[in-house]
Amino acid sequence: MGAWRHFPIFMITLPLLGAVLMPFLGYLRERWVPYAALLPLAASTLLGFLLVGRIPAGDHLSYHLGGWEPPFGIEIRVDHVGLFLMLVVCAITLLALVYSRRYIEKEVSPGRRTAYYVLYLLMSGAMLGFTATGDIFNLFVFMEILALSSYALVAITGNRNAVRAAFKYVLMGAPSSIMVLLAVGFLYSVTGTLNMADLASRIAESGYTEVLVVSYILFVIGFGVKAALFPLHMWLPDAHSIAPSPISALLSGLLVEVCAFALVRITFSVFTRSATDLVGGTADAVGVAAAAAVLYGGIMAITQKDLKVMIAYSTVSHIGYIFLGITAFTAEGLTGAMYHMLDHGLAKACLFLCAGNFIYLKGYRRIEELRGAWRQMPWTCFAFALASISVIGIPPTAGFISKWYLILGNIRAGKWLYTIVLLSGSILAAVYCLRIIYYMFFQAGKEEAWEDASRDVPPGMLVPVWALSLGTLFFGVFSYLLIPSLLKASAYLL
Amino acid sequence: MKRVLSLFFIAALGVLLLYVVASMPPMGDPQTPTATHVIPRYLERAEEETHTENVITGVILNYRGYDTMGEVTVIFCALAAVLAVLGRERRGRIRGFVDRSPVPSSTIVRTMVRFMVPFIILFSVYTILHGEISPGGGFQGGAIIGGSMIIFTTVFGLYESSRRIPQKVRAPLEGSAVIVFFLVGALGLVGGGNFLTYAWPHAARGLQPALVTWLTVLVEVGIGLGGAMVLISILFAMIREEEEIALTA
Repeated sequence: MGAWRHFPIFMITLPLLGAVLMPFLGYLRERWVPYAALLPLAASTLLGFLLVGRIPAGDHLSYHLGGWEPPFGIEIRVDHVGLFLMLVVCAITLLALVYSRRYIEKEVSPGRRTAYYVLYLLMSGAMLGFTATGDIFNLFVFMEILALSSYALVAITGNRNAVRAAFKYVLMGAPSSIMVLLAVGFLYSVTGTLNMADLASRIAESGYTEVLVVSYILFVIGFGVKAALFPLHMWLPDAHSIAPSPISALLSGLLVEVCAFALVRITFSVFTRSATDLVGGTADAVGVAAAAAVLYGGIMAITQKDLKVMIAYSTVSHIGYIFLGITAFTAEGLTGAMYHMLDHGLAKACLFLCAGNFIYLKGYRRIEELRGAWRQMPWTCFAFALASISVIGIPPTAGFISKWYLILGNIRAGKWLYTIVLLSGSILAAVYCLRIIYYMFFQAGKEEAWEDASRDVPPGMLVPVWALSLGTLFFGVFSYLLIPSLLKASAYLL
Repeated sequence: MKRVLSLFFIAALGVLLLYVVASMPPMGDPQTPTATHVIPRYLERAEEETHTENVITGVILNYRGYDTMGEVTVIFCALAAVLAVLGRERRGRIRGFVDRSPVPSSTIVRTMVRFMVPFIILFSVYTILHGEISPGGGFQGGAIIGGSMIIFTTVFGLYESSRRIPQKVRAPLEGSAVIVFFLVGALGLVGGGNFLTYAWPHAARGLQPALVTWLTVLVEVGIGLGGAMVLISILFAMIREEEEIALTA
């Protein structure tokens, strides 16, 4: 065991440490904050990549904080699936932070910019801690940091609509946090432990079936709100469309996925296979909700006039995809869900950042205003098109790979109806994405709409957008790099 | 319709929760899973293992110190959220509009507050330093300091109190809880243990327990200072907001 055992804890705590140091730096030199904020995230990303290949296949890294063995102390537990998601989080948060500097200068007033970077780092660190933890109370603690920082980041521009959207988000988010806390309390009262692995063994022999079932239901509702699972998604379209674009990218591309992953951990690492018959009914209900989400999100996205609201509804639809992969209870389905977290994260972050480019340069939010956008902003438009292709699921992008495995997983599970739902979700996605591409490239806009300003946005905003959209292409072409180990890791989780 | 539907859901949730509470293991029974699994070790061995006399402190700062590190981050996050929505008071701008107290106060009140605040702060220092032995600790002590400054600000106004604790003092101290936790955690690594192992590297064997106790107290002090500064900064941000609204109205 080398020094690499300590990497995960530093991946989590360095962004948190960076966040608490920012107010002082902001007091001394506010201009430096956007650059200084990059350091802890870059360090986390580096540590994450150094960790690749260290964890033996089909095994996990268990790190005992303070040296106390698990049921007594807190455990950090990183398996391949967890490490994969942590790397996705690191990469996307880093890119969106690079993007943030110019965008935030324009959107957020000077007195609040430091707070933006503080909250951004807190949110990134919390997502990493949330993904890596092996303790359900610790899960709750990180969920609170995550929730609080995301509420505030939605409201950060301070205008009336933003505050209203954030308030709506709080109204739904706060009760959901309490539900998770209640669920943790219930589980503790019947098992006497908070460690996930220990819980898994003690749940099997615990006699308190009612308490266990209700606690699972509360977990599903609690994380369901945070992950915006239909019909608990009401806060999402407002919050995700009104937040500053880099934050929209993070909320849509990462936060909902990370919360869905928490439910994966609760389902497979805590309640486990042996208890599946215990919670099977709830899991079936989640499947129905997820199928409804795929269709509802897709149809609502088609009817939208505002670009960011449309992308937000597309997220509602894709969360349904992820949950359908989870409820298939097959290795292929789970692999598809995990891969979908990656490609949806990349593609959705890219779409939101592209929408941010239009807002930054022209102030355009409505879809109709994008007619002929191609002439002035070719780079942004091409990146948007590439990410849209991944959202639809056309090869050779990563979206195709993940949908392939999602469908495969559902066929293996014999769930034909869901397979049809998944396919029709893609058709809906094609309708709402291709409409935008059609407007951008094949319709002539008004001359005066696109002629005045300079050409495309500055490189600091284009590079992250292109990195994300090329990422969807890369993971589509080179999916064999990840799929085998994800399949193995999923089988290990099941 | 909407109202009936939501009432129905709330009632259903209430019934569900009551039903669960009824089927939970009885409170106070020594044979419940909670009383037999993890807790006995905490109660029996916390003092020798964590070198703190107060078992609660041993659990929250040592056995489950990582959770507490998360909790202090939540507190800091609350401040960042307030500052994101309200904005921090700007340097040098305060004098213009907030040098009077919002509450009219008599000489008696002013004198009493001026007299009491040092003693309240002294008490909070006791609470923080004694958290390792008796009920109390960083969270409580920090709240007491914050409370004393709330009294002071109510009577003397924002200008007087922000002159005593200016932003240049608060800004570096707001995160002191997380910083101290991180440093103590990293120190555990230097000593060859894991993150948050309370240990002093290369200490003589006999000295180790005392040093671990001192590290625990150091963390308490960090939590107390950080918590106090967070409370005070939130207070200032909210007063400033009030004043701005009053001015623009």
